[in-house]
Amino acid sequence: MTRTTQITILVVLFALLALFYQGLWGDPRHIPPVLVDTPAPVFKGPNVESGELLSSERYKGKVIVVNFWASWCQECKVEHENLLRLYDEFKDHPEFVMLGINYQDEIPKARAYLQRYGSSFPHMQDVKGALAIDFGVYGVPETFVIDKQGIIRHKWIGPIVDNVYTNLTKNVLTPLLQRADTQVRPYDSTT
Amino acid sequence: MIIEIGHFSVVIAFVLSVFGLVSSGLALRTRNADWVRVGRMALTLIFVLLAVGMAALIYSFLARDFSVNYVAANSNSQLPLFYTIAAVWGGHEGSLLLWVFILSTFSTIAVWLHWRTQPAIMPYLIGMECLVIMGFLLLILFLSSPFDRLIPAPPDGKDLNPLLQDPAMVMHPPMLYMGYVGFSIPFSFAMAALFSGRLGEEWIKVTQRWTIFAWICLTTGILLGGYWAYYELGWGGYWGWDPVENASFMPWLVGTAFLHSVMVQEKRKMFKVWNLFLIIVTFSLSLIGTFLVRSGVLTSVHTFATDPERGLYILIFVTMIIGLAFGSLILRAHKLKSQIEMDSMVSRESVFLFNNLFFLVAAATVFLGTLYPLMIETWQGAKVTVGPPYYNTVFMPIALGLLFLMGVGPYIPWRKASHASLKKNFLIPVGVGVVSTVVLFALGIHSLFALAGAFVVGFSGAAILIDVGKISSLYARRESVNLLKGFLSAFTANQRRYAGLVTHVGVLVLVIGIIASTVYQTEKVVSLRVGDEFVIDDYRMKLERIHDVRGKNWSAQEGVFELYEGDALLTTLRPQKRVYDASQTPTTESAIYAKNMGHIFLTMPDVSADGVAVARGVINPLILWVWGGGGIMGLGVLLNIFRPRKRDE
Amino acid sequence: MFRLFPILIVLCFVSPIAGMAKVVDETEIDQQVREIAKTLRCTVCQTENIWESGAPLAHQMRDAIRERVMQGQSAEEIRTYFFSRYGDYIMMEPPKQGINWLIWLAPFLLLFGGGALLWREVKGWVTRTPAPQPPPTLDAASRRRIEQELHQNK
Repeated sequence: MTRTTQITILVVLFALLALFYQGLWGDPRHIPPVLVDTPAPVFKGPNVESGELLSSERYKGKVIVVNFWASWCQECKVEHENLLRLYDEFKDHPEFVMLGINYQDEIPKARAYLQRYGSSFPHMQDVKGALAIDFGVYGVPETFVIDKQGIIRHKWIGPIVDNVYTNLTKNVLTPLLQRADTQVRPYDSTT
Repeated sequence: MIIEIGHFSVVIAFVLSVFGLVSSGLALRTRNADWVRVGRMALTLIFVLLAVGMAALIYSFLARDFSVNYVAANSNSQLPLFYTIAAVWGGHEGSLLLWVFILSTFSTIAVWLHWRTQPAIMPYLIGMECLVIMGFLLLILFLSSPFDRLIPAPPDGKDLNPLLQDPAMVMHPPMLYMGYVGFSIPFSFAMAALFSGRLGEEWIKVTQRWTIFAWICLTTGILLGGYWAYYELGWGGYWGWDPVENASFMPWLVGTAFLHSVMVQEKRKMFKVWNLFLIIVTFSLSLIGTFLVRSGVLTSVHTFATDPERGLYILIFVTMIIGLAFGSLILRAHKLKSQIEMDSMVSRESVFLFNNLFFLVAAATVFLGTLYPLMIETWQGAKVTVGPPYYNTVFMPIALGLLFLMGVGPYIPWRKASHASLKKNFLIPVGVGVVSTVVLFALGIHSLFALAGAFVVGFSGAAILIDVGKISSLYARRESVNLLKGFLSAFTANQRRYAGLVTHVGVLVLVIGIIASTVYQTEKVVSLRVGDEFVIDDYRMKLERIHDVRGKNWSAQEGVFELYEGDALLTTLRPQKRVYDASQTPTTESAIYAKNMGHIFLTMPDVSADGVAVARGVINPLILWVWGGGGIMGLGVLLNIFRPRKRDE
Repeated sequence: MFRLFPILIVLCFVSPIAGMAKVVDETEIDQQVREIAKTLRCTVCQTENIWESGAPLAHQMRDAIRERVMQGQSAEEIRTYFFSRYGDYIMMEPPKQGINWLIWLAPFLLLFGGGALLWREVKGWVTRTPAPQPPPTLDAASRRRIEQELHQNK
């Protein structure tokens, strides 16, 4: 066995073990969101409770928090309280909007869920899940933050609890809301 | 109480494994044979104690003792008896216990079997096996105990994953583990050869049967897994290139390379380091497979629950064993310089080398494909999928190359093949290969995979047939008997060679099955109501009715389909959409009708509330050849293991 | 009018069976959906494509594909759409670009590189191995003797 062969074997083994060690701490179910920093999809659909039509058109120029949920989802129940708290915290800001998107659900069940756990912000139906695919969702709950220019700035997979809540409100929402309107690119003038 | 006895036995077994390791060390230091005997005793007792541990766990399952956490998590009072046994190894903890139990069984057998003939090897063998057993028992006792109690006991268990409630799943894990663990015996012998400096051909001759036994167990395990996927997962395929499947396929590939390469060392005393390297890689891949499956590093349909701490422990343990093996190989390799004599580029030796190259590249491909997502995630934070389309593309040329070498190898003489002998041996096979390709093409088959496959299969098949024909007629003439008797005496005279060829025939049959059932699979999905029918290939399926049926622990909607060929009713197919009581998990049960060595496969994935059923029909031509080929391979191996002993063995 | 009544009754009973039972078949759209679905990964399952998966998300994705096929989008456009939503992860095989060429080419590089190395090595061994001594040629006398002995042994 030549020296080169010996060294090659050792290097390959070491690299492998290092890779395995790294891999141990990764979350194999985590998928990096590709949609962050790209324009948010447009959406339109009936309100879960009132049936009134909701659309992205209406929210133009505002910071939107979009939360995908379903009545059959256990983790959604965990975060629901925090969602209500989040809405309360920011609802007075004129440029803040929050929207729940009810995913893969039956309307009566969704209504019962909202009645039981409380509802303050509007919820839109996405029974066929087409919007969820537009948003690159693969499970509930997932939460997106869209800025005033309509660009997705943040995505969180899993429930909004503890640190996630603090991070979302302090580091994501507050700066986005504080950003001056002058930063809005005059995109209508370019066309 | 019973489970505590089991737990206690395993604790004692762990202590004994430390003891066995120490005593084999002392045996080597003091050169006192008594210590070896102590080691043997320890190993034997470990086997007995682990048998008690297994028995206690099985008993707890049969007694439906849900105060045992593992029993409650993997079985249920309604679970049928047959699957209750399978449930013992249906989860991580129990399957690990089975793993180490099989390991202790094999090592005990090996120690007693080779005690007289291999006294010098014994301390190393006992030490190595005890080390591996110790590592796994540590894992079982501290991080994955199947013996833990659940207080208070739940009234009923959670049930075994419905997908695992399948006859093939009862046998699949034990066979697979017998394969993985079986390789530990030649591995230990190799390590003994390395440490002791007895680096002749001895260890290879002694372990030849172990190797081939481990190989066939692994092969059977893999095929059973495919069989299970085929029947249970309901998409009509048997191999999904899933990380866990790959984890079992990698040691198989390198093990197969080893199986062939040792013949060179036996015959020509060359490639000593190479063979050590191969068996070390094979066993390392078995261990790495265990790590990959159980650490949560890769996710897969089959992965057990994930836990970084457990993964870290397995990684440290696997690193130790692999480090020990490769370390000693590197440090001792210079002692192994074998005189390499090659008379010609065209010789059996060089064909074996290229066979090894192809097998290793195949294994490296699977390895890379399996780990690539992990690499990309680590380096770039991105996620990619390496799925079946990738493997099908890159694996095909490698596999065809291997099949070609399989046809060439047995007919190239050792040392040097003359031009004349090449012509004599391969002219007709090449002709047959070309003719079968042309015929297939003329029949309207244009898939490159199928055409290349036809050439290789025709070539290899013809070479084997000609060989068998020639040798049979030679023996028939010499002994003045008929051709069949001539064949039999030729076979018994060279049983190892011809048993090997039987296995090769099995591979060819398997490959024909794989090509036909992947390239010429027809599939149709339709929505239909009762009374409607649909046509697939030459068959017609009519939905007669949909009704509810009830099993021991499940209820189902069953579609009753009449299967016609022309106007003749062939059979009634009854695919089901099941829901298991305890877990409320839905499964799709396929209905299968075998015809012309192929399958007509039907599932009913969905029935809507207004009575519209979705039916999925698949025609899998020649799929029975896949399992049949596996059976022939197994027959070849049996003929090899139980061959009459020759004087030189 | 009344004469028609019995016929109507008969029709009422017969038509749900005779009239509605039909031979159903896949449409071209079904086939296109299948072809596309087989190349996309079900993101909540593990290494399963959305055609073979039974997960609800896979079901929705199939519906989304169908909708787009019916709108007349090409397979490539649909794949691009899914790619833009989920990234590399959703393709069943790594896209042949950038670093991914590594995994596509590695098997062949290994095969050819290894093959070339092996070839060189074996060639070296062959040249270093002394040519085997040709067996001594037999003179006519010894040949006859051997043949004789062989004959006697039979």
